[in-house]
Amino acid sequence: MGLRKWRREIPLHMMILPGLVLILIYSYVPFFGLTMAFQKFLPARPFFDNPWVGLEHFRYVWDMPNSLRVLWNTLYIASLKIVVGQLVPIAVALLLNELRKEWLKRGVQTLIYLPHFLSWIILGGILIDILSPSQGIVNQLLGVFGIEPIYFLGDNRWFPITIVISDVWKEFGFNTIVYLAALTGINPSLYEAAVIDGASRWKQTLNITLPGILPIVVLLATLSLGNVLNAGFDQVFNLYSPSVYESGDIIDTLVYRVGLEQAQYSVATAIGLFKSIVSCVMISLSYFLAYRLANYRIF
Amino acid sequence: MIRMSMGYRVFNAFNILFLVALSFACLLPIIHILAISLSGSSEAGAGLVSLWPVGFTTSSYEFILKKPEFLTSIGVTLQRVALGTVVGMLITLLVAYPLSKETHAFRMRTIYAWAFVFTILFNGGLIPWYMTIKWTGIMDTIWALVLPGAVPVFNIILLLNFFRGLPKELEESASIDGAGHWTTLWRIYAPLSMPAIATIMLFTIVNHWNSWFDGLILMKSHDNYPLSTYLQTILVRMDLTSVTGEALNNLREVSDRTAKAAQIFVGALPIMLVYPFLQRYFVKGIVMGSVKE
Amino acid sequence: MKMTRTVATAATTALLLATVLSACSGGNNGNQASSSSSAPAESSAAASGSATESSAPAIDPLGKYDPPIEVTAIRPYDEMTKFVEGQNADNNEWISVYEEKLGIKLKHAWTFQGPGEQYDQKLNVAIASNDLADIMAVNPNQMKQMVEAGQLEDISGVYESTASEFVKTSMNADGGVSLKSATFDGKLMGIPRLGSDIDNVALLWVRTDWLEKLGLPEPKTMSDVLAISKAFTTQDPDGNGKADTSGLALTKDLEGGFAGFEGFLNGYHAYFNIWIKDASGQLVNSNIQPEMKAALAEMQRMYKDKEIDKEFGTKDGTKVAEAVTSGKIGMYYGQMWTPLWPLQGGKDLDPNMQWRPFAITSVDDKPALGQVPFSVNQYYVVKKGAKNPEAAIKMLNLWFDMRYDHPYQEEVYGATKDGIETFKHSLIAGAPITYNIDKYRTVTPRLDSKDPSGLKPDVQLIYDDIMRYREGDNKGWGNERVFGPEGSFTVIEKYLETNSILRNEFYGAPTATIGEKGATLMTLLKETFTKIIMGAAPIDDFDKFVTDWKKLGGDQITQEINDWYAQQ
Repeated sequence: MGLRKWRREIPLHMMILPGLVLILIYSYVPFFGLTMAFQKFLPARPFFDNPWVGLEHFRYVWDMPNSLRVLWNTLYIASLKIVVGQLVPIAVALLLNELRKEWLKRGVQTLIYLPHFLSWIILGGILIDILSPSQGIVNQLLGVFGIEPIYFLGDNRWFPITIVISDVWKEFGFNTIVYLAALTGINPSLYEAAVIDGASRWKQTLNITLPGILPIVVLLATLSLGNVLNAGFDQVFNLYSPSVYESGDIIDTLVYRVGLEQAQYSVATAIGLFKSIVSCVMISLSYFLAYRLANYRIF
Repeated sequence: MIRMSMGYRVFNAFNILFLVALSFACLLPIIHILAISLSGSSEAGAGLVSLWPVGFTTSSYEFILKKPEFLTSIGVTLQRVALGTVVGMLITLLVAYPLSKETHAFRMRTIYAWAFVFTILFNGGLIPWYMTIKWTGIMDTIWALVLPGAVPVFNIILLLNFFRGLPKELEESASIDGAGHWTTLWRIYAPLSMPAIATIMLFTIVNHWNSWFDGLILMKSHDNYPLSTYLQTILVRMDLTSVTGEALNNLREVSDRTAKAAQIFVGALPIMLVYPFLQRYFVKGIVMGSVKE
Repeated sequence: MKMTRTVATAATTALLLATVLSACSGGNNGNQASSSSSAPAESSAAASGSATESSAPAIDPLGKYDPPIEVTAIRPYDEMTKFVEGQNADNNEWISVYEEKLGIKLKHAWTFQGPGEQYDQKLNVAIASNDLADIMAVNPNQMKQMVEAGQLEDISGVYESTASEFVKTSMNADGGVSLKSATFDGKLMGIPRLGSDIDNVALLWVRTDWLEKLGLPEPKTMSDVLAISKAFTTQDPDGNGKADTSGLALTKDLEGGFAGFEGFLNGYHAYFNIWIKDASGQLVNSNIQPEMKAALAEMQRMYKDKEIDKEFGTKDGTKVAEAVTSGKIGMYYGQMWTPLWPLQGGKDLDPNMQWRPFAITSVDDKPALGQVPFSVNQYYVVKKGAKNPEAAIKMLNLWFDMRYDHPYQEEVYGATKDGIETFKHSLIAGAPITYNIDKYRTVTPRLDSKDPSGLKPDVQLIYDDIMRYREGDNKGWGNERVFGPEGSFTVIEKYLETNSILRNEFYGAPTATIGEKGATLMTLLKETFTKIIMGAAPIDDFDKFVTDWKKLGGDQITQEINDWYAQQ
């Protein structure tokens, strides 16, 4: 009956309430700042009193000589990161799952999470060393195979890949943990039944493990789609240089340099808004696709 | 257990080899940084350190540790982590549970869900964030480090998906026994989601431990800086495009390199030690797979 | 040039004034007594600015407020600032002396000790949120923003009426340029923190032990320099049989106080990113001049011949420092402080290493001029509507009085016997342009006489280090290379004597187009120059760069700069 249902729902509303209040205050209220994207912001004035300039800030960035190049670099690097950044943790989680010795499993698990704690400031220095064409060990290794030294961080052909691979190395531990936790959630009896049916480990992986973690994979992939314009400011900033602006300059580094001349909050807000809109569109699309095609609600 | 075929044995061997190599690839830079942090500043500055300290000295650590601010900031961080994790986990559980229900059981569900997701997509910007925190009067208090980030939407989404994966029969039989939503959440769902909860708790702890930017902007007094912020402020940044005459004497003291390296360790070590303990919870699989369709 | 004469004039004037003022000190005491009893009237008079005309007698530059007033402030402390035992940022000798002598209770809204960029971040947020204090230490960009937003008080009046004669003279020692840089629409909106620009000129640093080993002469012309560079690259100066050394150090940022290219450019009469007068007296930007092309061409050749590290394009200052201290590079252009870092590190590792600074050499018979950046990068601003704007001026007066005019208790307010630099605790500060070179001039005769008596603690430190080095302890080498008879300041002294310092003709706040297009133009420049040097683009791409630069906003900026210039 209507009333009973309503009464049954009340505890649910109550549970959500604290979280809702918090986001209303600390996330929704600050949204008023988005108006900065359309105004000429002057600090001493009440927020809505600033002169309205419409889309001028967007036009300003668009009109910059390298805006298209920068947009392309951002999309390229971010997309690669999303794809590789999802595939690697899945693979590693699966491989890790096959380890029989508990201590080995735990050891590896801990160690692969460690790079997450390193900041790009110090990693930058390390990477420059090991990727150096003249002295870096990576190129020395390549030399063993007869490959010419590659200037990873200074060559526009290699810079994006280097960024992607080093970032995945740093962060794959994070997603691997999530997948591992998901793997433990798969009912063991399914495996027992499969063994009885004589299925090989590989078949088990295909038919039990993968489908078992599929929801999480879709979830993480979708959420990471929201980052399609976040190529990783911290990392790129510490690794790039004028010699690789062509392939490595991303939206955020461009906005940063603009901001050095003047604390351009309006421009930064405009660009932030643009990125948010794109993320929102991507995530909404994935949400609806997953719902329509697989009857799976991501959230 | 599972009988290993020849092919599987080979695979197993390679797998172990590969994963160990991968672990080394992750471990080596850490060792390198540890070595730098224990090396002399000239040696580190000349790039002479690889995996072993050269010119062994603990002066970088002394530099960081002997300041009284170090102890105060650890206190602040511990406070923040404790408070932030408790508040964050509570909110996560409380929000994930209702959102994991079907729409027919909870009609506003999808609207609420989008309301939460919206907050990770859109961001009002640094200045409005600062102003809002000022208006709510929590500036320069521990709550400024806890409340604004108390709703971790990503974690909530993870947890709600886990909840969804639990057999529906559990809830049905609980409700038949007269359990309301609160009891179901705390007595049934939560215990069964231990791996997910442990994972999320780890992320929350790490996040609070490492956040330094909010501490920098929102804390007026140096005594209120959390550890990560304090560590950021002691780095001597070498801005070579403009070094003032008065900065002359600074340059002779602690090297940029070794201090940064020590900073990483002081900041990250506690977490690296906590993590293995939380791992236990991942391993305990779900036993109650008994009711299955 | 204009500079040295002004310095001499200022020094003489200061000397005269000092004599006059000290004679009048009895009269001053009387003034203080009378002003303290009539303090309320005095402060309100200053606030309304009505006393500006009849300035000097009416308002005592060091008059004490009675009852005391409260003033809030926001300020940075640099990373290495230390405090005397039991004291801290909010409670130290300068805060006490402000209250004792001036009746000003200084309360910090907040302070920040750490890297400058973090202070800026914090302050930027506070400014944008209009969360201000009475007095704040800001950078030029922040000041400009705050002026535009109407957040600052016009202090022209209180400066006129309250600043002491000594302060006014010191401030004008550079021709009034510093004050002008803080002036908007004819109104003074902030107090510039005086600094020394000559400290930032590029010197040519060469490894003299390698010079000796290879039997090369000291560099007097650019061809000498190029010959040295070639020899360092090809003749194996470290004697290890490997071709692993190079001639000239360069960082990926191209500019900078260590391994920047400014000094090299200056040798070709090219300058990096300043405004210079052309033949018709108009201001033009140095980046697009033909001399720049010649310098770049030479660098391109050097890169090709491996005299510049092949990987310089990805190496920042710290990475290049590694190469220098581990003995892989023998020459760089850098500022006077570079022996302290990074060279000291190299000396510690290899005691046989020896470096000497030389004057920049020229490519032809026209002497090379060393460019220096504008010396002021911090301003003290007063919030609009602050109750006592003249308080800032009084603190300025006190600083100059206690530090330079009538040095007072140096070991309390300057630097203690333990080396704690307490002068850093002062809210309002500034040093005459000759601050560091004066240290050099003071210490030099004492080195011969071996008599350190009466030296101020910071100069004493230098004296001790030089003596230590002479006795064989390399720990003192750094300071000796800066302040000793073969050091940086001997070269800078020479620059001053021969008028070889070139200043930026533009010192105003960034213009509108600079704010809009500056970043784009700099990106274009760095990308193009790096490509040219690395040989990834032909030298004639420079001409295309010039056209693009003008089109993308350069012409507009040049126009704005010249408009400004016409009004000076």
